[in-house]
Amino acid sequence: MTPSPIDPVLLERIEGKLRADLRPVRPRPAAGVLVAMLIAIAGLVAVWGARTLGFYGWHKLAPGTAAAILVPLAIAIAILAIASVNAMIPGARRIAHPAVLLGAACVVMVGVFATVFDDHRTDGFVRQGWPCLRGGLIWAAPAGLAIGLMLRRGFAVDRRAAGIAIGGLAGLAGLTMLELHCPNFRLAHIAAWHTAVVPIAALVGCISGWKRTWSINAETGSSE
Amino acid sequence: MVRYQQGDPAAVTALVSTLSPQLHRFFTSQFVSRRFADDLLQETWLKIHEVRHTYRAGEPVLPWIYAIARHTRVDHYRRTRRLEDREQQVEHLPERAAAAAPESRGVDLEAALRQLPESQRDVIVMLKVADMSLEEVARATSSTVGSVKQKAHRAYEKLRGLL
Repeated sequence: MTPSPIDPVLLERIEGKLRADLRPVRPRPAAGVLVAMLIAIAGLVAVWGARTLGFYGWHKLAPGTAAAILVPLAIAIAILAIASVNAMIPGARRIAHPAVLLGAACVVMVGVFATVFDDHRTDGFVRQGWPCLRGGLIWAAPAGLAIGLMLRRGFAVDRRAAGIAIGGLAGLAGLTMLELHCPNFRLAHIAAWHTAVVPIAALVGCISGWKRTWSINAETGSSE
Repeated sequence: MVRYQQGDPAAVTALVSTLSPQLHRFFTSQFVSRRFADDLLQETWLKIHEVRHTYRAGEPVLPWIYAIARHTRVDHYRRTRRLEDREQQVEHLPERAAAAAPESRGVDLEAALRQLPESQRDVIVMLKVADMSLEEVARATSSTVGSVKQKAHRAYEKLRGLL
């Protein structure tokens, strides 16, 4: 490949610009600490939401069923927390694209619901489902905001992927809240309305990431 | 990098003089003009400076730097495309300068690299020009080692056919 010598004046200009604002900075916390904090936020928001609305689902669930639902949910939250932190650190290792991880989490959760719930009635599907979807999304919002606040010092090289990871994690917090709160154990209701909180929250995150990219580019483009 | 985070001016000189040639080559390998490569280099360093706190001691530096460089290039490309979309077309194009005759094997390689998709070109430049490992390239491109291997393999196949 043809070598491309750089103009020394350009290098001097770059060095000058960097030196002009060379105050010491505090490095970000270790990735493990950030992941633990995100898991704690998701868990706290879910419990806080269920406490506010009532632990009706939790009291009605058999211990085995509760474990069968909450253990995979906790694993999904941990994986999405890792993906969210990695999305905010340039050059971090990526397990898979957050959308793939989120899709897999939703499929697994629907599979778990199909295994543990056997009430197949669908009457009042929309009437009963809409309040759950709304409640899940309402409680996903503070989780998303807190996660965004926690990762504000990070830098997303792919803002849409970061938005999907953060939105999806917030959606999982909303889903956990619904499992603790909702006493409606109909399979169609849980598989459709509860699980829908996750992709919708991820979509909101993705749009936020896309909008941020667009506004930054528009800002820089107009100043050029 | 740690001394740079602590505000050591000598670390700025060391980093900029060591890494700029690699980064400049990375940008020129994408066949942007020299002026654009200069702009991208400057923009990348300003971005690196802005987010230098996101680096943590003990982690590999090159994937961190190249991830920011790729991001800067993609943003730059989007902005340029938006500006080009707004530009009006002219009826008569100015005459093109005659293309320089290929003088060396290096020029052939550049022409062959031009045939590769951007993602494969990135992988080849990072592996062969920046001398990064598969793991480092995977981190810089936000992908997996398997995906990098696959892209490199396809790029080698294509280059073998072209050269």
